[in-house]
Amino acid sequence: MSIRISKLINKIVMLFISIIVIFPFIWLFITSFKLEKDIVTWPPKLLADSYTLNSYLNVFRTIPLFSFIKNTVIFAGGVVISQLLLDSMAAYALARLNFKGRKLFSYLILLAMMIPFQVYMIPLFFLVHFMGLLDTYAGLIIPRMVMPYGIFLMRASFVSLPKDLEEAARIDGLSEIGIFFKIMLPLVKPGLVTLAVIILMNNWNDLLYPMMLTSNPQMRTLSAGLALFTGENIQLYGPVLAGTVISILPLLLVYALAQKYFVIGVATSGMKE
Amino acid sequence: MLHLLKRILNYWNTPRRAAFVFIIPSAVLLILFVFLPLLGTLVFAFFDMDIFFNNISFLGLENFVRFFKDQRAINSMLHTFYYSIWEVPLQVIVGLLLAVALQKNSLFNKFCRSIFFIPVVCSTVSVSIIWKIILSNNIGFATYLISQMGITAPGFLTDAKYALPTVALTTVWKNFGMTLVILLAGIQSISPSLYESAEIDGANAKHKFFRITIPQLLPSIGFCLLTNFIGSMQVFDAVFLMTGGGPQFRTETAVQYIYVRGFSAPYQLGYASAVSWILFIIIAVITMAMNLFLNKKERQYN
Repeated sequence: MSIRISKLINKIVMLFISIIVIFPFIWLFITSFKLEKDIVTWPPKLLADSYTLNSYLNVFRTIPLFSFIKNTVIFAGGVVISQLLLDSMAAYALARLNFKGRKLFSYLILLAMMIPFQVYMIPLFFLVHFMGLLDTYAGLIIPRMVMPYGIFLMRASFVSLPKDLEEAARIDGLSEIGIFFKIMLPLVKPGLVTLAVIILMNNWNDLLYPMMLTSNPQMRTLSAGLALFTGENIQLYGPVLAGTVISILPLLLVYALAQKYFVIGVATSGMKE
Repeated sequence: MLHLLKRILNYWNTPRRAAFVFIIPSAVLLILFVFLPLLGTLVFAFFDMDIFFNNISFLGLENFVRFFKDQRAINSMLHTFYYSIWEVPLQVIVGLLLAVALQKNSLFNKFCRSIFFIPVVCSTVSVSIIWKIILSNNIGFATYLISQMGITAPGFLTDAKYALPTVALTTVWKNFGMTLVILLAGIQSISPSLYESAEIDGANAKHKFFRITIPQLLPSIGFCLLTNFIGSMQVFDAVFLMTGGGPQFRTETAVQYIYVRGFSAPYQLGYASAVSWILFIIIAVITMAMNLFLNKKERQYN
């Protein structure tokens, strides 16, 4: 009997926490459809008498939200594609090929993993500036084309494949590049999806990096654009909230479809050591 | 011509040589965009220079000395610590308790875990915007609910006394789902036989938690503590969005200070680089100390 009660209490507590987690999103969604005057009333109400699409129409008029969306897709998408390719190439060499300097390269990866971005962001800004790449997609994507943690993650996937795979392929006359693309890469698909999800999440949501490398409002990403549009004082709440809804919906959709990979991605990060 | 191409391809087609083809793009990019800038920070820190590379002069250690006389810089470090002291333990405790409560793979537990992970997926920017409005003095829903309970709500984000703990709480709200998942993976890999033999010895839930779960989970807990600490010392987005560093720089964090020094007039990049180094050294020293402590604890248990 007492076990049943404690289980019930447990469930009630969990449901309560779930509400705390979900409520701000429900509030956000409902409020984004309210009239401005219903948002800025005291006492605040969760529901209003009438709803409108005004905030959504307004946000496209007041800020270049279409550009923000386009920029974020190109930036995050470009980074995902290039990292998947380059991270797994390097990881494959580290995991399965013997070469001079392998140890040194592994140490460099580990070292790079430990250095916070904030420590070298200023010279990085200069570098991109001198390359003439500020406010360009290339400037946003190229410095992010490799992620040490991505190499680390993919290395684990390649290491776990059976050892004699490539020997058989070599005997069949497949080239080294062919072995990688035709045999190895398809075998680490789950690892690739997990990595893709991590990269997408990190870059879609990043603020400091894209904010630093863009100054033209037309080149801002969703995060940087919204952050600067919001500013110190919010003048109109409706459009800000509508923009927020639009910025989080795509990732929530990806999460709904690929939840498993988000969880694996995070859980494996805990096994780094 | 074709013959030559074939010979080149053949030359590179051994495992040893092909390895370089796979490695070189990553190596070049990492050197160019991580290690070179890192070296840059080290060099810049000894110079007085602005964003336009005008009037560069060598200062030696002056930028570092200046830090210790710069009250705003020191305060920004202290604020960051203060935020960290709230965020890290809360994050790990909440994550741990919920991971233990939800460790069985029942449908209900899986449902809760998926819900708890939703804020993790959202950007700090969006989450900060939401909380900033919900916690605002004039129109905030949370402020209203609290005032309904008969408590006068303080200015959660406008009163310097409450602002950083409030931001820390929203960060815990955003990220505990992640900590939970990491710790859950650790809990589920603990051998069930440990619990079974403890049950035979008549251990209750409390005993099992403190004598088995915690010691076995120490590496995962340590990982969460360290990564959360490193992350919280670099806090920028949440504080920038919710308080903007105000009132009167009283919630300004270290990274925000570096950003302001480097990227707004008078663009003191040399000094900003020096502060970056100081922050990095502080993080590195504390991380190493925590690591040593955790390793010692782990050895004690085993």
